[in-house]
Amino acid sequence: MLWHKAWLETRWRFISALLILTVMAGGNVYDYLATERLLPRLNATTDTPVAEASGLADAIREAIEVQKDFRGFIWFQAFRQNLTQMGVFFAILLGCGGLLSESSKGSALFTLSLPVTRKQLLGARTGTGLAQLFAISMVPPLVIPILAPSIGQQFGIVDALAHGICIFFVAAMFFSLASFLSTLFGDIWRPLLIAIAIACFIAVAQFTVPQLGIYRVMSGESYFRTGALPWTGFLTSAVIATALLYSAAETLERRDF
Amino acid sequence: MASNRAVIETAGLWKRYDDVEALRGLDLQVPSGSIFGFLGKNGAGKTTTMKVLLGMSRPTRGDAHVFGHSSAESNSSVEIRRRCAFVSDEKDLYDYMTVGEIVAFTRSFYPRWRGDLEQQYLHKFDLQLSRNIKGLSRGTRTKLAMLLALCRGAELLLLDEPTSGLDPAMAEDMLQALVTHVSREGSTVFFSSHQLSEVEQIADHVAIIDQGQAIVAGALDDLRSQYQRIHLVFENDAPEIKVRAPGTHRVRRQGRVVTILSSSRGDAVIEELRGYKPATFEVSPVTLKDIFLESVRTED
Repeated sequence: MLWHKAWLETRWRFISALLILTVMAGGNVYDYLATERLLPRLNATTDTPVAEASGLADAIREAIEVQKDFRGFIWFQAFRQNLTQMGVFFAILLGCGGLLSESSKGSALFTLSLPVTRKQLLGARTGTGLAQLFAISMVPPLVIPILAPSIGQQFGIVDALAHGICIFFVAAMFFSLASFLSTLFGDIWRPLLIAIAIACFIAVAQFTVPQLGIYRVMSGESYFRTGALPWTGFLTSAVIATALLYSAAETLERRDF
Repeated sequence: MASNRAVIETAGLWKRYDDVEALRGLDLQVPSGSIFGFLGKNGAGKTTTMKVLLGMSRPTRGDAHVFGHSSAESNSSVEIRRRCAFVSDEKDLYDYMTVGEIVAFTRSFYPRWRGDLEQQYLHKFDLQLSRNIKGLSRGTRTKLAMLLALCRGAELLLLDEPTSGLDPAMAEDMLQALVTHVSREGSTVFFSSHQLSEVEQIADHVAIIDQGQAIVAGALDDLRSQYQRIHLVFENDAPEIKVRAPGTHRVRRQGRVVTILSSSRGDAVIEELRGYKPATFEVSPVTLKDIFLESVRTED
């Protein structure tokens, strides 16, 4: 029943995330119709000194080149941008809350009076959250191969699943970060804002510190370019997520209510 | 009927929150089968004591045992909570559930859940299973919280202000339900209250806590017979009185009048006080309210 409680607490966040991400993925499929007509006529003005010096020109040229076919367009628009960015946000949103934020609503004492350990409480919430995260990682990519034939295109189901797995591993890390922060702060806003700030910092810092390139793992860039899954990225994300969840459990265990 | 075996035992219990000492060496024994009233001013440490007993807060030092299990250890506190029911002061439950959902949710944790009592209290408290908890009044939430506590088949009920938020009629019904439940099920009740009349009505044992320490504790009948108020009136300003005899709790001097609360039935205190030669001398019995007010009142 702890799972049921966790589901009831988070169901609207989960359903919102699933709907928004699915609509975004579906929207990207139909966006290709307009982009397909525009791309051949696009003459990128990338030859300005500023653009050349900053490397922006290469980035724009590459973006245009990649998006010339449907597979590249979907990777660039859906997996590299929309599903990655919004996936991180929803992972953080699902990770926020829990026992400590219940205490600000007053119901934590009822929960704590039940004959279960705090680790069981956290475990049920984490398990439910990760299951929801898996669904919002896998369902939107799977919409793409389903809708692609309606515009005369094809997208492999295996490719969609592979990208979904890439999203899930990195999103689980941000989910765990939000879960950990939620054992430090009693409200939902500070964990949310701090986790988003960390996600933004990593997004900016990865340009200068390539080792922080977790968004490349999340977008499945290596799978798109070479067909190889980013196993090292998966392992790193899993280790960090486990460490954060362990810290969350230890912090919760020591806390007074 | 209370037995000598203690269900709750604390010894030198201290609890410090940052720079606030909520408990300062609390010693408490709650006999099995008793209805134990736990009295104290706001901030005296009543809720903290209950939280420590249930493992929600950990003591800074000292021991707290319930059913012989240490409440400070995670696994044994689970065993304590398996045999206890707790109703918090706020009575806050899950706003996102209906009455039926929270009853089913709570039932799933207690194999000894009493379905017959569930039906009885749903009817008695006029609770509808389809109602959303978010829309319930504070009084109805209190009734629901009591239902969830009473149906667990618990050996010990820890109730923090169980009648707060209820109108007098409903509070009376709730107390009667509690007494009936205890007499039928043989469970122990440890409850805090600001309503001294309520405590006098149903409790057979009481403890008064002040600044984190139990300053009065025992069977209510024993306390009533043991305590007495001695009232001295002098012709001029009352002299400063220092009583050497044991059992003198509080001496208050106001103008010509001196009031003394004594827990000694012996003549030693009376004889000693007669030595001050008051104009009038009166010994009167005390109520629980008198004992409480005299015990927790700060010095003038």
